[in-house]
Amino acid sequence: MNKDAITVKDLKIIYRSLQSKSIKKNLFHPKKSERSNFEAIRGISFSIKEGEIVGIIGKNGSGKSTLLRALANIFAPDEGSIDIHNHTMSLMAIGVGFQTNLTGRENIILSGMLLGFEEEFIRSKVKEIIEFSELGDFIDVPVKNYSSGMHSKLAFSITSVLETDIMLIDEVLSVGDARFRKKSENKMRELISDKHRTVVIVSHSIGTLRSLCDKVIWMHDGEIRMYGETNMVLDEYLAFMEED
Amino acid sequence: MLEKLVSDTKKYWNYAVYATKSQLKSEVAGSHLNWLWWVLDPLLLMLVYWFIAIALKSSGLAYFPIYIFIGLTLWNFWNGVVTGSIRLLKANKGTVSRVFLPKLTLLYIKMMVVGFKMLISLGIVVLMMLCYRVPLTWNVLYTIPLVFVLFLVTFGFSTILMHFGVFVEDLSNLVSVAMRLLFYLTGIFYSIEQSNIPDVFKNMLLYWNPACYVITGFRNTLLYGRGINLYAFAFWIVAGFVLSFIGIRLIYKYENSYVKVL
Repeated sequence: MNKDAITVKDLKIIYRSLQSKSIKKNLFHPKKSERSNFEAIRGISFSIKEGEIVGIIGKNGSGKSTLLRALANIFAPDEGSIDIHNHTMSLMAIGVGFQTNLTGRENIILSGMLLGFEEEFIRSKVKEIIEFSELGDFIDVPVKNYSSGMHSKLAFSITSVLETDIMLIDEVLSVGDARFRKKSENKMRELISDKHRTVVIVSHSIGTLRSLCDKVIWMHDGEIRMYGETNMVLDEYLAFMEED
Repeated sequence: MLEKLVSDTKKYWNYAVYATKSQLKSEVAGSHLNWLWWVLDPLLLMLVYWFIAIALKSSGLAYFPIYIFIGLTLWNFWNGVVTGSIRLLKANKGTVSRVFLPKLTLLYIKMMVVGFKMLISLGIVVLMMLCYRVPLTWNVLYTIPLVFVLFLVTFGFSTILMHFGVFVEDLSNLVSVAMRLLFYLTGIFYSIEQSNIPDVFKNMLLYWNPACYVITGFRNTLLYGRGINLYAFAFWIVAGFVLSFIGIRLIYKYENSYVKVL
């Protein structure tokens, strides 16, 4: 229970001069492009214990989603380190990357394999995922023909049925219509209640964070402004936002 | 680096295979003729070029239709993978920006999808050879190392282009022009060996243009019972490994930074 699930040390993420340029720009304006070194995360350290549910809050552009992606190993740290101590991990985000010309069923298998599961295991879960997603016959239709609601329903169902040790959740708690939202919130609660599961939630919804989280990280301009017990941090955050 | 290459490949191999299968299926799923397109597509193209060749009256070659078809088959693989690699990461932005995936896996999938189509085309080549009763010699076995060279060199060039394709927006325009030029310098529907090109340039094209080298080798061994130039073979094996080494290193170094740029 008291082991660290995630340890982050002096993490820095920089959107450096790594910008896409065209050959024309390179030829005619070779100097101009060497500007912007945007630090999205400015050297933060924190740790999250196994079984903890941690929320991340902050205004737009404060580095929340960047942090989440760094935790999911999608961005390499420019400085510092992230250690997830050999846990399995999945990132739940709106519009999870599907191969849009493949069917929903094929995407279930592909997404599952990318999360590190065996094909056999995923196949045994396919039925449950399809049922949960309420897609019915649409599951054998290419994903490009899905409505945005169906898209997110499928994404949510995949990540929530194929459970991982650490779940990173980016604003997905408002998925689909009212009924599905209720259902997904319940599922979320069920997943979160597992004592061994570590969850990190990025959300703007104070209500969601208050009801789900043990602790909250308040990000501000790429730094941690505050990290502590949920109500304390949220009260401070609300007071700050009103001052602004 | 080699260790990482082996362990990544092992770990994501099943994914690559499954993705290849579903991608192939999805490409034809919507059409009436379905998988027949995999056969029809190269066949129809062959007819077009055959027609052009006859119109140009440049065909003094034995088994000319097969000659064209071999050229097209191998060219389509080389061209498909190399030009496809440039925008490969952009095309898969949805996936790579949401889950970690060794970026080389995307190239494996691309190569397998295009390679499968090449395999079908090669099947047609074999059928055509049977119809025309082309006499075979042991030299046909050279096609196996030639396929290896084709894969290796294509992989090498593609890794490097895949890397730079992320950072240079208009690279694909440049490369598609270069490939068009290379297409005509490869002699798909005429013979470079029998053309009026001065000998110095002829040899340059035949041996130092990888597509032309492999295609000429295929034609000579399959149709005319000849061997291949072993010096050029050794050169392309070495060049292929060097290119792949450079490309894999580049990709490993920047693997987790691509998403920031896409």
